Amino acid sequence: MAGKPGTTPTTYSPSPTTQKTRKPIFNKDDVDWVRPDGRGFHQCRPAFFRTGAVNAASGSAYAEFGNTKVIVSVFGPRESKKAMMYSDIGRLNCSVSYTTFATLVRGQGSEHKDFSSMLHKSLEGAIILETFPKTTVDVFALVLESGGSDLPVVISCASLALADAGILMHDLVASVSLSCLGKNLVIDPILEEESYQDGGLLITCMPSRYEVTQLTVTGEWSTPKINEVSLSTGIIAYFYPHLEELCCIREWNELHDFV
Amino acid sequence: MVGLSLGEKHFIQGGIAQDIRSDGRKRLTYRPINVETGVIPQANGSARIRMGATDVISTVKAELGKPISLQPDKGKVSIYVDCSPTAAPMFEGRGGEELSTELSVALQRSLLGGKSGAGAGIDLSSLVVVEGKICWDLYIDCLVVCSDGNLLDALGAAIKAALSNTGIPRVQVAAGASGDEQPEVDISDEEFLQFDTSDIPVIVTLTKVGRHYIVDATTEEESQMSSAISISVNRKGHICGLTKRGGAGLDPSIVLDMISVAKHVSEQLINKLDSEIAAAEAGDDES
Repeated sequence: MAGKPGTTPTTYSPSPTTQKTRKPIFNKDDVDWVRPDGRGFHQCRPAFFRTGAVNAASGSAYAEFGNTKVIVSVFGPRESKKAMMYSDIGRLNCSVSYTTFATLVRGQGSEHKDFSSMLHKSLEGAIILETFPKTTVDVFALVLESGGSDLPVVISCASLALADAGILMHDLVASVSLSCLGKNLVIDPILEEESYQDGGLLITCMPSRYEVTQLTVTGEWSTPKINEVSLSTGIIAYFYPHLEELCCIREWNELHDFV
Repeated sequence: MVGLSLGEKHFIQGGIAQDIRSDGRKRLTYRPINVETGVIPQANGSARIRMGATDVISTVKAELGKPISLQPDKGKVSIYVDCSPTAAPMFEGRGGEELSTELSVALQRSLLGGKSGAGAGIDLSSLVVVEGKICWDLYIDCLVVCSDGNLLDALGAAIKAALSNTGIPRVQVAAGASGDEQPEVDISDEEFLQFDTSDIPVIVTLTKVGRHYIVDATTEEESQMSSAISISVNRKGHICGLTKRGGAGLDPSIVLDMISVAKHVSEQLINKLDSEIAAAEAGDDES
């Protein structure tokens, strides 16, 4: 998944996390700045995806981008709760939680209250909800280790888990975030880069339909920088084939053809 | 949820396609904005914004606190939105919680800038009294009194108006405190410092109905949207935040087009809002 296809191993073997030391603070005037992990600015971290991580779930996936590790389970479709009103389209229920040990400071993960609704908004455009009326699909995501760009990893992983559960979708959803550090735009930032960022951008899209399902921007951005959005859609298009290939979701493809 | 008949839905969609909406507005016209400032005497600053039937109140409270150790040279600002059940029965109990969180996060994203403080509408370093020891904590609390669409733009405008109404007491720091001691402060109740609100962005929400985008959508129009993008733009024309709502996907080129439309609309909105706020402040002083 890293920048140069030839040099990238197809699978990434998790290595024991090395002791983290505080890197020197990024200097704004530093033009020849090197990212803390030595990546190029437009290079993703080594990634690993696997479906079928949880046996009890209808579908599940595990994803790893560098130190960011998440697991997503999909349950259902199941009957909606009695209290819910009749609905001729299916319901999507998303929840993102952090383990207490996911962050450097214990329990810091509870700061991300908006992730559940962000996950919901990113996925609802991709799922064909008409195919399971009156029922609910639950998507539960758990961040095992937070290493930066947590939400994009959760979103990409959740779309895999949904595909693994055989939920009909228009397309897989791939997501990536960008950080703006001084004059530099870096893709797939790690935790440290995120904490010094001047601005951040998160984009989720369905690559084969070329549609953006979710987009958020913080910090100040000028027009040329916003045009860099196309850069990130390009990057997504780059890692999407891997996503499909790596998880061997053949059954899902058959269903997709059937639709 | 708005219960609309098929005919009404077609009427709204058809009107938008022909650039004349149900209330006679064009696609890129706002409803008249009514600004009142200083409505809550207990707060350091407050404002009420009405746009049609949408009615929101924003208050600013300033308290002295301690800066966090990672950023000793910065004050703290927090934004909370409360959707009261008096506005709509669906906000009762936990019903309003989801919307409240969504709005709070969107406002924080739009107004507070990046982690390093770049692009922030409020200069956090101006809130420091004694570096590393004392700073102002600004609590911006918003209340949705009545909701008829376009809440985010109204809340953004209300916060801007409330901040221009805010007076922060001048603080005298007693000399002599050294080392780790907490310095003694004397808060003046006569002298107040005004905020520079010129950098605070406005939020423009473009709602996509059919193939067209509209600003300042009413609840009925919002029920017909496929997706909406809220963009906050400052006076320099720079984007300070962006949030997408609605499930439908968008082509990246449409997103960029919406951004340029929002920039254009924001210029007019900033000017209009500034003159309304100035008029409200002037009226406030007289009374």
